[in-house]
Amino acid sequence: MKSDPFTLEIIKRSLIVASEEMFYAFGRTAMSPVIYEVLDYAVGITDSKGELLAQAPGVPGFSGVLDFVASETLEKFGKDLREGDVIASNVPYYSGTHLNDVALSMPVFHGDELVGLVLNKGHWSEVGGMHFGSWTSDSTEIFQEGLLLPAVKIYSEGKPNKDVIDLILANNRLPRLTKGDMEAQIASMKVAARRVRALIDKYGLDSVKQAMGKIIEDGERAAKLKLKELPKGTFEAEDYIDDDGFGNSEVYVRVKVTIDDDSFTADFTGSGQQVKGSINSPFPATVSAVRETYMAVTDPHAEPNGGFFKPIKVIAPSGSIFNPIPPAPTSTYWESMAYATDLVWKALAPHIPQKLSAGHFLSILATILGGVDDRTGEPFAIVEPQPGGWGGWEGGDGESGLVACGDGETYIASNEVYERRLPVRVERYELNVSDGTGHGKFRGGFGVRKDYKVLSNKAYLTLSIGRSKFPPWGVGMGLNGTPNYAVIIKSNGESMKVRRIANYEMLKGDLVSLRSGGGGGWGDPLERDPKLVATDVKNEYITIEQARNIYGVVIDPRSSEVDYKETQALREKLKEQRGRK
Amino acid sequence: MLRSKVIRIGIDIGGAFTDLVAYNEETGELIWKKVETTPWDPAEGVMEAVNKSKIDPKNAYSFIHGQTLVINTILTRTGSKVGLITTKGFRDVLELQRSNRRDMYNFHYRKPEPFVPRYLRREVSERIGSSGEEVVPLNMDELDRQVDFLVKEGVESIAISFFNSYANPSHEKLAAERVRSKLPQIPVTTSYDITMEWREYERTSTAVLNAYVKPKMKSYLSKLESALKTFGFTGTLFAMLSNGGMGTFRYISDYPITSVESGPVAGVIGAIQIARLTGERNLIALDGGSTTTKASLVENLNPRVTTEYYVERDRWRSGYPIRVPVVETVEVGSGGTSIAWVDDIGNLRVGPKAAGAFPGPACYMKGGVEPTVTDAYVVAGIMNPDHLLAGELKISRNAAIEAIRKIASYYDVSPEEAAWGIIRIANENASGIIRIISVQRGYDPRDFALVAYGGSGPLFAPFIAKELEIRKIIIPAVPPGVFSAWGLLATDIRHDVVRTDVLPLVEEKAEKIEENFSDMESTLVRLFEEEGLGNREIVFMRQADLRYYGQEHTVKIAIPFKRIGPGEISKIKELFHESHKREYEFSLPENPVEIVNFHVTGFVLVKKVQLSEVKEIKTSSVEEAVIGERKTFIDGVSEMLPVYYKPLIPPGKEIEGPAIVEDPTSTLLVLKGMKLSSDKYGNLIVGWSK
Repeated sequence: MKSDPFTLEIIKRSLIVASEEMFYAFGRTAMSPVIYEVLDYAVGITDSKGELLAQAPGVPGFSGVLDFVASETLEKFGKDLREGDVIASNVPYYSGTHLNDVALSMPVFHGDELVGLVLNKGHWSEVGGMHFGSWTSDSTEIFQEGLLLPAVKIYSEGKPNKDVIDLILANNRLPRLTKGDMEAQIASMKVAARRVRALIDKYGLDSVKQAMGKIIEDGERAAKLKLKELPKGTFEAEDYIDDDGFGNSEVYVRVKVTIDDDSFTADFTGSGQQVKGSINSPFPATVSAVRETYMAVTDPHAEPNGGFFKPIKVIAPSGSIFNPIPPAPTSTYWESMAYATDLVWKALAPHIPQKLSAGHFLSILATILGGVDDRTGEPFAIVEPQPGGWGGWEGGDGESGLVACGDGETYIASNEVYERRLPVRVERYELNVSDGTGHGKFRGGFGVRKDYKVLSNKAYLTLSIGRSKFPPWGVGMGLNGTPNYAVIIKSNGESMKVRRIANYEMLKGDLVSLRSGGGGGWGDPLERDPKLVATDVKNEYITIEQARNIYGVVIDPRSSEVDYKETQALREKLKEQRGRK
Repeated sequence: MLRSKVIRIGIDIGGAFTDLVAYNEETGELIWKKVETTPWDPAEGVMEAVNKSKIDPKNAYSFIHGQTLVINTILTRTGSKVGLITTKGFRDVLELQRSNRRDMYNFHYRKPEPFVPRYLRREVSERIGSSGEEVVPLNMDELDRQVDFLVKEGVESIAISFFNSYANPSHEKLAAERVRSKLPQIPVTTSYDITMEWREYERTSTAVLNAYVKPKMKSYLSKLESALKTFGFTGTLFAMLSNGGMGTFRYISDYPITSVESGPVAGVIGAIQIARLTGERNLIALDGGSTTTKASLVENLNPRVTTEYYVERDRWRSGYPIRVPVVETVEVGSGGTSIAWVDDIGNLRVGPKAAGAFPGPACYMKGGVEPTVTDAYVVAGIMNPDHLLAGELKISRNAAIEAIRKIASYYDVSPEEAAWGIIRIANENASGIIRIISVQRGYDPRDFALVAYGGSGPLFAPFIAKELEIRKIIIPAVPPGVFSAWGLLATDIRHDVVRTDVLPLVEEKAEKIEENFSDMESTLVRLFEEEGLGNREIVFMRQADLRYYGQEHTVKIAIPFKRIGPGEISKIKELFHESHKREYEFSLPENPVEIVNFHVTGFVLVKKVQLSEVKEIKTSSVEEAVIGERKTFIDGVSEMLPVYYKPLIPPGKEIEGPAIVEDPTSTLLVLKGMKLSSDKYGNLIVGWSK
């Protein structure tokens, strides 16, 4: 029997609410800050074929991985799935990102019939490997990055598989924390599974299955409507990743984006081979990356379900940096993954100005500062991304101090909380105005500067900073943004500029100054509204000299007002000098 | 003893109307008046309402005021020019915020714009460490220079927020004294004075928003005060606070931000009073407004008060944090004038766009043509097809049908079927969210009574009750239009102090824990003294936010001990494990526990407004209350239902659903399987048959 459209709509909404409820439940109960502050996790519900019905990703980087997890679970276990099973997977090439991100899946049955899967993939603070915290910037093969979980049952029919769980916890530096996170993950999934079963009890299996089918159909239909509004054709972009993760030569990357009425294809053929360092982006991560820009250009508020993503095709040759094969290390996969998002963005930006901007600082600037707190004898660790500058766009300046595209509703922790809990002093946390930004008719936003001083006898610093050699791109006559980097300043005054280091020893009084870049500019700085330039000077975002030399705007230092006559003359002169018109 | 003054006046100023409710404690008489709000000078409307009510202000001993001035000043950006003084190295805290991208696929995303532009955010050298120790002394010369700069720039209000001031506010105090002595005419706000919780961005944002509304609120309150005095009023002036209590005008002049939510909160307090009078202790207050429906969960007659409040926060916008105690209310869905529409791919949606008071639902014939929830209720036959407000508002069912036809023709169904679809979707959303908020907090909605008020609260309530299997609905006897104002009269004098001090919950710390609580109690005593209430008895309530070591999020628990010694520690731990298990389905009894925030509430209890019993009942059977019948379309079935007129329903007699109950200001559908009765106060009670 065909159910009425209103009932199906109610079931659809309820599935979305169920996944949101799971998302919220896990965020509230997890033990690791990387879950509850950084929201480094995603949850979802699929149908029995693994089609994504609803998902709530905390970061956009996870928007494409849950369907791979579902396929892996369904392919491996098929008919051997039982009510009450929980399967753990983290092998990047098949289901994900890096080993820290452990996906759990839980089948939902009605009688003997598999109705769907409930999924939750979250960043575990520890999975073993060569360094504390597992992910690292100096691994050369995946086995150094932790324990591989190739879709293994950790619960069978509601009972924990103690042997497997013991094995996981024995290969773990923070077993208590890990167990807490795992239990929170499972508890949240049970909530969602219960909701799905309640829907079946209320509306009948048939209606629920119809609603599931309709989610996918509707999603695809919505996507195609949006595709119609986009420019058609083939668009290309290229770029360079700073290095292979070990300071060796830069890695060339490229994309060819083809849009027609029914599909959106990103072809990364021609990009560099997988590299020695851990920056390789596993294929599911590359797919997530493309999905992000696709969402941005189609409908940022669309429900991110399997139907909406149907038109996307991603091509990345096996063995390349965007589709590595074992045993390539992937623990800082986001460095290259972000390039996949950024390349598609760069290819389309000039053609879709109403949705896209100039390039942003891109790198997550992943930072780990850890060690043992002398005051308590307890281990401590800061694990965090840094925000930076976003690009300008036709109609507005880029935002300053915002997390990168790989992060989403990700909260930078409060410095007061850090100081109370960890042996550090935050000497400053402010806009990185002194490095400037990508100037333009609409300028890029500014990066940040954050200075940590170490207060314990020793601490270890790991940094993975990208876009340090190749800054964010401007659009049109807009200037490029500024690079990301860090400076280590020893207590004896010595200083050192760094971007990728692993477990670097810091001593009491040493300071690391993290500096993210400004976003790219959009359009010619000489066309910027002089009033906006004057406001920027007043707010000390730019100097009076920059106003004159870059923007051709003359400002009276006493009144802070624009001298329009002189400005016009100067702009004429600069235009000529810069060979415009 | 004969009391000379027996009247309490509650005045609630909303966007459109100013409502007055006065209660005579001796006679039990309740008077209400509604006048139009006078936005240019809200005091004018207040005085008009007082005039019209014919109350002699000389007989009133207290005046309780609910207002939207604070929130509106923020929403319309009509506050003062604020200068911020902060710690060197942290000038951009307001602009950096937490750096999250709430609208994560929008590459043009902008954070909320700071209320203080960069050039008015000035740094001074000073630093307090995380344990409260002084690391760098406050540089007075720099402070003077920055203050001079701000004065030159013409700031009208100054906020001071220093890093780690929650651990030691001495630098903020020192700086404030200096600024006040230099500039006695400029109001100064210090962050520690409003919140002693950690997190520099949230605390700074709170201080800045207080500074932003302070000059305007101060002048408004003093104008109102002198106007009331000229009228002969000599009692105490109170204002409703967001924490569900009230404070004196003096308090709210200094800390206006603590009254950022006042109308909706007064409604919750009113609902609690209704529950108290009807013998319920656990309730969901359901406030059905014109554009949204809000819900608030109340356990044991205590509203949930948290400091996790934001303005302008929604699914795609981060909003501005304000860390003051606020009664938690959650927007659960659409309201009476929310518009139904079909999206790009053919799904029926309700809201968030709403027709509001103008142009209003299509059936009002004031120019609205979009189908609203109200139109759906009219078309489904649940609401009166000809008039509302006892005949004052003529409506047109045909106009409603015309509007709904847009939806009906899309799905190729009758207007009645489409109307039913709109009603289901509007209610389903609300039920889903109420379930989430109750389940998330570890409650089963079936254990709660639903107290429904506001214009559309009674329309939504039966459907929500059915969906969530709630056993009892209460529709207050107080008219929905003045319910918030009535709630003002049920409010105690209340202040909250919340302070972060992270301590392990171990016996050795019992003394320090007790010291914190008793310190905060002394702070409250001083506060009440400053308000001139030093001679009143203060009732304290202790709470704490606790967590397992390593967790970020905390669970608030009540601490039922007036004095804490080593013996109480394990009992507190036990309470925490229980609460954690209730809220999160697990506890970790082997894990260490820590206290993060201490929270103390002080109450000065007042005599609350009562309901008087219904007198002169002219009817003796429910049949006599039937004023007609109406063809309805519910759940695919067309049926004639009897229509009862509420004022004619005799108390204690039952009406079996399905039936419709109307009164001048609201409509209630008693669903099949439900039964309704009116209690001795005229509250409608809906329960389940059998």
